[in-house]
Amino acid sequence: MEGSRSLANLVSRWVVASTRLGPRLQSALLRMSSLAVLIGLIIFFGFTAPGWYSTTTLFNILTATSLFLLLALGETFVIISSGIDLSVGSMEGMAGVASAVLIVHIYHGGFGIGVVAAGAAAALVIGLLGGAINGIVVGYLGLNSLIATLATYGAYLGFADIISNGFPVGNLPPAMATLGNGSVIGIPFLVLIAAAASLFCAGLASHTRWGRYVFAIGANREAVRRAGVNLRRHTVLLFTLSGGLAGLAGLLSTAKFLSASSQAGSTDLLIAIAAVVIGGTPLTGGEGTIWGTVVGALIITIIENGFVEMGVSGFWQLVVVGIIIVVAVYVDEYQRKLRIAAASASQPRVDE
Amino acid sequence: MPDVVVVSPIGDVDRLEVRDLSKSYGGVRALHRVSTVFRRGFNGIVGDNGAGKSTLMRIISGDIQPDTGQLILNGKELHLRSTADARRAGIESLYQDLALADTLDVAGNMFLGREITRNFLGLRLLDKRAMVRAAERTVASVNIQIPEVSRMVRTLSGGQRQAVALARAIYFNAPVILLDEPTAALGPKETAAVLGLVEQLRANGKLIIMVSHNIPQILDIADHLIVMRSGRIVKEVDPQSTSQEELLGFMVGSRT
Ligand SMILES: Nc1ncnc2c1ncn2[C@@H]1O[C@H](COP(=O)(O)OP(=O)(O)O)[C@@H](O)[C@H]1O
Ligand SMILES: [Mg+2]
Repeated sequence: MEGSRSLANLVSRWVVASTRLGPRLQSALLRMSSLAVLIGLIIFFGFTAPGWYSTTTLFNILTATSLFLLLALGETFVIISSGIDLSVGSMEGMAGVASAVLIVHIYHGGFGIGVVAAGAAAALVIGLLGGAINGIVVGYLGLNSLIATLATYGAYLGFADIISNGFPVGNLPPAMATLGNGSVIGIPFLVLIAAAASLFCAGLASHTRWGRYVFAIGANREAVRRAGVNLRRHTVLLFTLSGGLAGLAGLLSTAKFLSASSQAGSTDLLIAIAAVVIGGTPLTGGEGTIWGTVVGALIITIIENGFVEMGVSGFWQLVVVGIIIVVAVYVDEYQRKLRIAAASASQPRVDE
Repeated sequence: MPDVVVVSPIGDVDRLEVRDLSKSYGGVRALHRVSTVFRRGFNGIVGDNGAGKSTLMRIISGDIQPDTGQLILNGKELHLRSTADARRAGIESLYQDLALADTLDVAGNMFLGREITRNFLGLRLLDKRAMVRAAERTVASVNIQIPEVSRMVRTLSGGQRQAVALARAIYFNAPVILLDEPTAALGPKETAAVLGLVEQLRANGKLIIMVSHNIPQILDIADHLIVMRSGRIVKEVDPQSTSQEELLGFMVGSRT
């Protein structure tokens, strides 16, 4: 009895000590733990899958990461604000299908840069609009984001099928193939776009008022309201950003596979949320990093890619991702419990 | 107080009058035709649970709007639709529930909603360094120890958190400061430190309104004292010439 109490004491003291490290060092350590996993995986697959280290592998991994990373970036903001956006996968499908239908409709031969630009605009507008609708339902009607985006998840999936009559859309112009599979100075367009989006989101998160309010809202919504921030407008912008990124993913997915279907993003939602969680953003809100999400996304792709190289079926990826989500959330919850225990253990010491 | 940067010289406030304020929640009359004048210095409010103290404070802080009645600051009527309106008018509040954003640092909380920005290629970006410097200077002028302003407020004690909220009022040089039971969650040592800070603010000519449950404490420091019961002001007293027993009598209604 005495022994277990002193052990608890020791643990809580250690946790208190670690919370005194200062936020910067703390978040650096947090980031490094997923970074360490990433590096560990890279070393592991390098040894177990001969010939794995190559630029082909590198770009395969980066390209495969690009699409769902776009969803994960938007999801990171939503989760930091203590919400969730379940509609991004079907939004990706809807935007991809809508842009493909438009492109096929207006395409009359040639390389087709103009029609692809029109299709790109359509995908973005549809993503932004779909996101804004989520934001209005959550921000103005006051619905819980889980329910609101579960509803629009279904609605957007339905719209995608209505637009395409339920069939995949193909016969896209060469310009689309270039967008989806081309590259500049050896770097695929998809990778460049995802990298630019990551930089943009990282800047938004740490250098703008809007980004700071995402964190503050996740930590204490009421304090932000009292500080005079227009919460409704903020919420609309938050989901609009998430939707816009999903729209972009829809366009790029269509370009990559030269075919659009309502099902294009069906597994991307799960993988995107997994990337956020593995990247160290807790579902409790108020904390998180964009770079963590990028690392989390890379971890997921490397596991899939490494499995394939090792001869394990790629289907295992979803199973493993599911398991990883549970483990990552459990570890996060466990740390939170320790922190609360530590805080109550240090309660009598009010005279600091 | 030592050299604290004055960012918004709103000017001093000599007089804050509330006139005929009423507020009901459904059938509950939280506030019924309350009128009084708060003057520069330390105004205390006491009263039993549910007397309407917090409701009055929230109306003055712009957090809620009264059903009827007026707020008059230095002779001018105020129409507060939000806490942001109140801040613009120079009214800063500390809440009963230590409302800070836990995962933001000290500087982030001090400047929440009023961040310092800089222009970068036409974009308005956060000027974190300026905010950290300003926060450090303000905290240094305050006699409460806050380790570093880049510390997440989650790791701070209750007194340190109230000090962060007070530092906000000090930095923005608010002439009117509302405190709703600021020491309710604090131990004796931290309570003394927070009250010391409030004392400094009074010495600087601020108009302070503080709700307290601690009768001896408020009798000791208030310049003027208001007693509330069932949504009304039942008595205004001079703390110098009032005993604890008399005050308790007014609070529970055994004296009038
Ligand atoms: N948001 C609210 N909704 C309903 N009733 C409320 C609300 N806020 C306060 N009240 C009621 O108004 C009365 C006064 O409350 P309050 O101003 O908080 O009192 P005090 O701060 O003096 O304890 C109480 O009866 C309380 O239950
Ligand atoms: Mg109260």
